[in-house]
Formats: sequence, C-alpha cells, structure tokens
Amino acid sequence: MLQTAIIQEYRYLNLVNKKIMNIKFVVFLFIFTVFQSSLFSQSIINSPHNLSVSGEGQTKALGESGICIFCHTTHNSNPEHPMWNKKTPGLNYILYNSSTIQAIPGQPDGSSILCLSCHDGTIALGSVLSKKNEIDFSEGIKSFKHSKNNLTTDLSDDHIISFFYNSTLAYTDGELKDPLNLTHPVSLENGKVQCTTCHNPHNNTFGNFLVTSTEYSELCLSCHDKKYWGESAHRNSLAQWNGSGQNPWVNSKYTSVAENACENCHKPHSAGGHKRLMKYNTEENNCLDCHNGNVASQNIQIQLNKPYSHNVYKYYKSHDANENALVTKMHVECEDCHNPHATRKFDADAPFVKGFNEGTKGINQNGNQVNPVQYEYEICYRCHADSPNKPIGTISRQIEQNNVRLEFAPTNPSFHPVAGPGNNPNVPSLILPYSVSSIIYCTDCHSSNGKNSPSGPHGSIYPHILKYNYSTADNTRESYQAYELCYQCHNRNSVISKQPNEFQSEIHNKHIVEENTACSVCHDSHGISGLQGNSVNNSNLINFDTNIVSPVNGILKFEDTGLFRGTCYLSCHGVIHNPKSYN
Amino acid sequence: MKKLSLMILFVAVTAMSFGQISATLHNFVGDSWNTMSSNKSCGPCHTPHNALVSTDAPLWSHAATANAGSFAVYTNTGTLNAIVGQPSGVSLKCLGCHDGSVNLNAHVGGANTASLIGSVNAAADLGTDLSNDHPISFTYDAALATADGGLFDPTTTVSGLGGNINVDLLAGVGNDQMECSSCHDPHGVTGVSDLLRKDNTNSELCLTCHNK
Repeated sequence: MLQTAIIQEYRYLNLVNKKIMNIKFVVFLFIFTVFQSSLFSQSIINSPHNLSVSGEGQTKALGESGICIFCHTTHNSNPEHPMWNKKTPGLNYILYNSSTIQAIPGQPDGSSILCLSCHDGTIALGSVLSKKNEIDFSEGIKSFKHSKNNLTTDLSDDHIISFFYNSTLAYTDGELKDPLNLTHPVSLENGKVQCTTCHNPHNNTFGNFLVTSTEYSELCLSCHDKKYWGESAHRNSLAQWNGSGQNPWVNSKYTSVAENACENCHKPHSAGGHKRLMKYNTEENNCLDCHNGNVASQNIQIQLNKPYSHNVYKYYKSHDANENALVTKMHVECEDCHNPHATRKFDADAPFVKGFNEGTKGINQNGNQVNPVQYEYEICYRCHADSPNKPIGTISRQIEQNNVRLEFAPTNPSFHPVAGPGNNPNVPSLILPYSVSSIIYCTDCHSSNGKNSPSGPHGSIYPHILKYNYSTADNTRESYQAYELCYQCHNRNSVISKQPNEFQSEIHNKHIVEENTACSVCHDSHGISGLQGNSVNNSNLINFDTNIVSPVNGILKFEDTGLFRGTCYLSCHGVIHNPKSYN
Repeated sequence: MKKLSLMILFVAVTAMSFGQISATLHNFVGDSWNTMSSNKSCGPCHTPHNALVSTDAPLWSHAATANAGSFAVYTNTGTLNAIVGQPSGVSLKCLGCHDGSVNLNAHVGGANTASLIGSVNAAADLGTDLSNDHPISFTYDAALATADGGLFDPTTTVSGLGGNINVDLLAGVGNDQMECSSCHDPHGVTGVSDLLRKDNTNSELCLTCHNK
C-alpha cells in the first residue's frame, strides 16, 4: 500500500525534479523493499511448513527447492481442491470420544484428511503425486519425528474434528457458542470443524499455525463458552511458577495461570488423558501440577499425603465427569468437589457454598440431585448420604446411621446445625460469634489440620479428616488437646465446670474429668435421625457408644425430663444407673 | 546517472534473455506426427498465410479444441473467491492440443492423422476435466486480491520479470485474465523447465501471486 502511494506521488513530480529524485527514489525503494520483506517474516517461507531445502525448520528436504509442492500441484491434483499433491490416507483412525461429548465423531474428512496425509505419519513426507520418485528428506526421515507433529492414526487424544458444529449442537452441549456467532478468524468448513478451524497452514504468526492467539485461551474461547469461566480463578489468577519442581507450562510461552487458561489443564493434541483432553492421564496430576506449592498459594499435595485424606491417589478412572450427583461407585477425585472452570476465592457464610466449590453438583437435604449446589453440605451428600457404598462410622452406636443427610435433618430430635439452625435454645457453652441460631459447615470440623492449612477436607493427621484432635477412646484423660475439636465452639471452662448447677457438676465434670469418659461416649456428633430416634431419648445428641455403655436389665436409654434434667438407664465402667436422674 | 542507466540496462538485458524454442518440449521438429516439409518448428501453431484466426495468438494455424464450453472447471465453494469461467482466450489455443480432442497435426498444412497428445506425452494431456488443474480464465484484479486476502494485488506487485504482475503475466485486453500463459511461455525461457515463464525454484512462480 505504501509503495503504491509513493509511486503515485512520484508521478506528480515534474521532469527536473524527477531526475534529481531518481537516485534517491531507487535507493529508497530498495531499502523499503528489504524492510517490507522482514515485515512479512511470517510468510510460509520462514515457517516450519517450508519443507524445502531452504526451510528453516528441523524437517526439510535434501534437494527439493519447491515450497508449495509438498502439498499442492498445478495439474492433476487429487483432490482438486485445494490442488492437493498427496495420496489420501486410509480411514482407520481411532476417534476421540468421551461421556460428555455431544458432537457426533466421524472419520476425518474435508481439509483435515489432507493435513493427515503428512501428520498421521502413514504417508512419507516426500511422497507427492507430481513426482515419480519420493522427495528425499534430511536424515532419511519419512515422517515427522515429534509426537507434536505426528498425531498417528490414534486421534483419541486430539481435539475432535470433522463434525458438524451447528446451533443444535451448541444448544445440546450448553457450553458452546452458537456457531452463527462465530467470529473471524475461527471458521467452519462446510459447517464442520476441521483442522483449519484452528490452524492456517500458510500463516505461522501466532505459532503452531494457529489462526489467533492462545493467550487467555482466546482461540479456545472462540467456540467454548464454559459456565462460570469469566469469574474463575483459573481464568483470572496472575500466579506464576516459582521455579521449583516441574514447570507446569513447559510447552507454553505464557507464564501465568490466567494467560495459560484452558491449557493449564488441557492439551489440544496428544493429551495424556485422552478424554476431555486432560494434560495427564492420572486425574489429580492435572490439578497438582500447580497445587503443589509451586504455583497456587496453597499446597494441596501436602495435605493429600497426610494419613487421613480424601485419597484421590487411590482411584483411577473411577470418576466420570458425566456421573450422577449421587455417587454409586465409591471414589474421590478433585473434580468431585471442585469445578475447575468455576472455582474461585470467594468467601460465604454457612451453609452457602464457598467460591472454591462453586459450580459443582450435589444432593440436597431432600435427597434430590442439584446442579449447581447452593449449600456446601450438598457436595458432601454425594458420597456420605444415600450412596450405596458410603463410608461407615467407626463407633458402634445404640442407633446406627451412616447417612449424614438423615443425621443432619433439621426435623431430627437433635443434630449439629449443618443443614439448618439447631433446635436446642439452651447451649450455654457456645463461644462467640456462635449462638444457638448459628449454622456451621461440615468443613468447620472436617478439614485439613494445621494453622495455615488450606480450608477443606483434603487431608489431616487426625482420623475422619478432622481439623483438630477429637479423642473417642474410653479412659481419655481430659485436656484441651483431647477434645480440641469440640472446644473450638464449646467453651472448655463452661463444659467441665462444676458450676452453675448440680446438673452441670454431675454430668460433664463428673464424667469427662473425673471418670475419663470421652464426649463421644454419650454424644453422637452428627445427629440422630428422626426416623430412628425421638426427642425424649435422643435430645442433646444422646446416642450411646455401645462398646462402652451397655444396657441394664435389657434397658439402655436416656430420658429428657426438661431443661438441664434427665434420667439414664445404663451400665458403664461397672457402674449401674437404673435409673440415675440428673436435676 | 550514466552509471545507473548502464546498470539498469544490464539488469534488463539479463532478465530478457529468452531462450530458443528448439531447446524446449515444444520443439516439434523431429516428431513423427510432424510430416510438414517446411516450417516444421512453427507450423503446428502458426502459419504465415491463411491463418485460421489471429485473436489471442498471432497467425494461429492449429484446429480449435472440440470441447470449447464443456470443460469441467476448478470449483471450490469454500475458499475460492475468483469466478472461474469456461476456458477462453489464449487458453483455448493451448487446449487445442492439451485436452486430447484434436490431433497434433490438425493445422494448416498438416496431415490431420491420428496423433492425439496422450499418445506422445500422457502427462501433457489434461483432458476435459480441468477441475484438478489450477484455475484459469478468471479475472485476477485488485478487487480479487482484496477479497481473497492471500493474493498479491497484480496491479501494484512486481512479477520479477520487469513489471507488475498484470502487465507481465496476465492476458486479455485489460491485462487482468489468468490464463495458461500466466505461468507458461509456450516458447520457453532459457534455464527454466516445464515451459514455465519464470523459474519456480523456492516456489517463486507460485509465490509471485500467492501471498502465503
């Protein structure tokens, strides 16, 4: 354009000036042309697709100087468009598939099959229709050496191609943009996504012959419209790798979580996980690549290595992104509790779900599936409520119940206030800001131990992934440490004091301090289901540990006889209450 | 100025070093089908007298293709911006031999005996299906270059043969038609193979027009 303007200008000069200008003009035009050629340094000539002897890439011909010839011929091409100069590969590709895919995968066609005439490694790079003899390549190679370029005929680890991408697909999928709104430079070929949707084989401006930049996953997001993504930490975090261990972005030119975006976890080609194009085959490695203390501020890997954990290492390929909210096959992976497209730092008050767990599915208090969850406990209910293979408790109880949804029901005779405020208006031991109308999270008790540990039940040195020690053994000598978990909310002095009444002295001080009886011997911390217990025998979380407390004359029960009053029928430590009343 | 003029003259002379047709694939002198007693070299295409037609090519002597108007042309609804018509202009002259429909010696003073091009050189017989050949007979102008995005503007881009693409390579009265003659010089250029108009080392001929 500039050259044209200069030439136009030149034409208007008068003859005398022209003579003077001549030399200057010729010199200028020469310099400008050289400069312009450097501007066009992203021509195919300087790209790895120049396979000729003049190519700058690693893969190049020994003697052939033609650049276009490796793909195109002017006569007798096949197929005609785009004047193709290579044989067509066979159609025995292993296709991408997953449980969440809505598109219908088909064997590669259109321009994709043309790309594969070099990039699947089955046809020699130098084998072209217009030459009888194969063009020789340096080092005698027949196909691309690196897996990055040689996709092989197994395309199950590559982004799906050759499928119709229409409005119906976008609607069915729910997380794809309507292709009618696709914006340049991403384009479809006869309505289908092909290699050329993302790649322009003639233009390497953005690297990997991509049609646009991958910074902030601009290219991916041309089509993909992931729910919650805009607010997600994985979209917005400026965290960088601290240089320790393995660089999570070894093949990327970007250095922050936000810039790498989708490619923090996904790879469009040769993805280790195949399904959903996860970088790694082992699910948790996709997360721990960054959540190991080297990128993310919290080291989750350390927590998961503790003796009591949600042991994601134990399960492999058990989790499925398309599984029901109700988990039927026991497993745990990071994605069971976290939605990596949604997760973010956003605090909330119990019972509302915090940002870390936003956008996940769960089971609500009525036992129905919800997506997304509104309350944090709904995530826990996926496995710890109605799941047929749920974990079971370790303390034998008078009333057995391992379904925590039933244990926490706000209609129960007594329960810890997880799914709603408690029903006991008199809890004098509560430490501010807790009150009888408070609601708490499961994760207030079940969480990684340690002062600065990340929130959530990743791993703990204490059983049941408890945040603090909670001794349940008989003959436990009372101390702050022994019941540190309970004493977070319930004031120790208030609990073990002999004041202000005989009830307090006879009940808590007598049993916990003098008789070394653990809290859990009488109290069932989650709650007693209204389907099994009642408000007379099971108020105040009373549900005896039957390994320690036994019936007397066939009777084992507590009777609530009013405020700070009750009667017990039981035998414990050889002492018989038949009955024993506390007033 | 004198030195500069001399230099330009030298460059121009070097660039204009056309070859001899006798050194090309179009040297028909020794071919068995060529039974003329004289003018064996030029006769198959040109005649000094009684020319059949002189539009598009001077003093044309060879019989016209039998397939005018019924060629299958290159199409591509996806990425082709050019409007490709039936072969016309000088391309039709080439196809008089290269579509294999008319004998090579069907020309003024020729014997018109069985001598279809396929029997002499199979690769040179394009047939009537031109859909697998580079498109020809379409308008290649600044507007096409803009619409395509991958072509140089022929009116402002140098061809490497002395002038701009349109003047040096394009045919028709408006110098805007892409034809066989855009790539091929039927008389040949010294040192350039396949009767190409310009050496295609490093795909330079292709990249004269294609901005890839």
